[in-house]
Amino acid sequence: MNGREELVLRCAQRRREKIGTLSDEGFAELCLAVRENPAAFVDSPEQASFATLVGALDAFHRAGADDDLLDDEEFRAARERRLQTLSAACDQALSQDGGCLDAQLVQVLAADLDPDDRLDALLEIEAKADEANELTLGSTGDAWDDVFTRPRLRLWDAIARTCLAGGRYRMALDVSRGLMAASPKDQVGGRLTAALALARLEDEEGFNELDARLAGRENSWLNLGRTILLYKLGRMNAARRALRGYGELCEGAAYALLRPTFVEIYLPDRPEVPAGGFEEATFAVHEAEPIIADVPDFIAWTDAFPWFHASGEAYAEENGYDW
Amino acid sequence: MAFDPRREDYQRLALRYAQSLPKGNPVAAAKAFTDFGRRFARDRDTLPQSDADRAFHLVAVAAEIIDYQLPFSSEDRADALINRGRDLLDEAISLDPKCHDAIRMRASRVSPSFDAQFTFLQEGADEVLASCQAVRDAVPNDGDDERIALGRDIALRPYRRWMAALAEEALICGRNRSCIETGERLLQQDPSDQADVRFTLALAYAKLEDEASLDALAKRYGAIVPSRPADDAWMGIARLALAHKAHDMSLARQLLEHLIAVYPGCASALITQTELPDGVFARLAVPPYSEDELILAVSEATVLLQEGDDKSGRGVLGSWVARTTAKLYPEALAEAQELSAPYYQQGKKGTQDGDAS
Repeated sequence: MNGREELVLRCAQRRREKIGTLSDEGFAELCLAVRENPAAFVDSPEQASFATLVGALDAFHRAGADDDLLDDEEFRAARERRLQTLSAACDQALSQDGGCLDAQLVQVLAADLDPDDRLDALLEIEAKADEANELTLGSTGDAWDDVFTRPRLRLWDAIARTCLAGGRYRMALDVSRGLMAASPKDQVGGRLTAALALARLEDEEGFNELDARLAGRENSWLNLGRTILLYKLGRMNAARRALRGYGELCEGAAYALLRPTFVEIYLPDRPEVPAGGFEEATFAVHEAEPIIADVPDFIAWTDAFPWFHASGEAYAEENGYDW
Repeated sequence: MAFDPRREDYQRLALRYAQSLPKGNPVAAAKAFTDFGRRFARDRDTLPQSDADRAFHLVAVAAEIIDYQLPFSSEDRADALINRGRDLLDEAISLDPKCHDAIRMRASRVSPSFDAQFTFLQEGADEVLASCQAVRDAVPNDGDDERIALGRDIALRPYRRWMAALAEEALICGRNRSCIETGERLLQQDPSDQADVRFTLALAYAKLEDEASLDALAKRYGAIVPSRPADDAWMGIARLALAHKAHDMSLARQLLEHLIAVYPGCASALITQTELPDGVFARLAVPPYSEDELILAVSEATVLLQEGDDKSGRGVLGSWVARTTAKLYPEALAEAQELSAPYYQQGKKGTQDGDAS
């Protein structure tokens, strides 16, 4: 989530509503002005609350910048503290505006709950939000275009990923599909969760449909999902080719799969990363972990291909990582 | 009905013996039969038998050792049992190179991975079927329908065990469609479901969250021999897993209570969730609705229970089942605590090591 930019859009949008009519050019100029000094345009509890949250999220990420220097125990303690600080900031944001959906969402996520409890908490937020406001596509046919409905899409995305982490694959798929229907642009990435759920459910038809919809938009989730799917279906030659596709799309993809590392909770959504980079593969592997664990010999199978193993090892060497 | 290796060994020799008796003399036959039991127990080598019968006897002894003694043996005895089992299986194969039970059991001991064993079983399935069918077709027609039917049935059992093992292996490998395809093929071949492959199928349908197919499976319980309703622990766990997966928590709780009611006094098995090695001959033969049956089903349901990203390491459903059972039945929790270190007190008590299994 680009919190700074969304704060700008929110402030500009509310200002536009106050002004009444404003041309598109006028709105663009207004946005520029807000971007210069957002604080000057924060004039309601709604925006103040959102600004508090955005600041807290920035602080959270900044505070984690030196984590690499800590040992395991220190890291655990530092992370715990950071999450508590973030949670306190959410309290503050919610005291400004109890309806701030992103603050509610981040607060639940920061509690680092097990999937059952997290899902309960998220569904409770969703039920209340739905009572207040039914999600609509808006005038453009894509809910993402209204900056005020984006928190709702993020909430759905978190629900879908929590379902996936909790072994609820059909539910993950249903929610992701709802997400894609509400926002065909799918900025939050419902299709990524859907790809993994379809792979786990060994639903080849569904997977191919999704693949066709995303024609030409390859990514690590899709490629890893396809590899797992074909492997599960016992189509080993096709699975091998899919693995090659996964391995070649992103830098360090083999390393990401063979040497998975800790990935912080998404707060509140999947971080935006450059396509084709190492981080993309890292996030895809992280989200696929429960599915990979369900195919006990999958990693050994990938590792047994000399080219895949060598690719992982080469990436480790180039970057000075342990192998 | 599960496969009982001892009983099958007995049936094979009894059948052979009956076929060797002079025809048309019922009095002599009855007399000879009273003799059979004694000779089977004490002097089986004097009974008429083929190399295949001798090989199967060795399989039965090996099954007893590997499946029923090894899991409960001390560590120092384990190696001796493993070696003895291996020697018996090798000898069985040297006596009868088509002893598919021995071939399968030996492979399960030496395959380097789940996948390797899965591939081995999958590649052999057609050949085993053809071989068993040839044995079935060669069963002599001595005019006794019951004997012919039993002879033919025994001939196909190694194939059914092979397929049941393949289905189980596929489930463990995360190849649920393959598990279902195998299980359905076996069920079609033997609707009475001697191999109880429907238990494995129930878990696979739950894995794929395919409720309609699970319902359809329950309807086919009518053909099971001996008859048994669709309320076994495998079906029960599959159903409660579906409710949990659909986030219908009150239904999941109801189904858990129902499962516990079907296996009265056995709730602690749902808290400890012991993982047992799979039987290498076949699923262990245990009495229906016994605690052992529930333990077995819970162990096989590991693929459902241990899924998901749960901090306890027991899986999302596994923790929910343990937690909810403990809450509903404190006495089961107390029993489970006596058996082993309860998982939720780990970490609190530094002296306890290992997990609840």
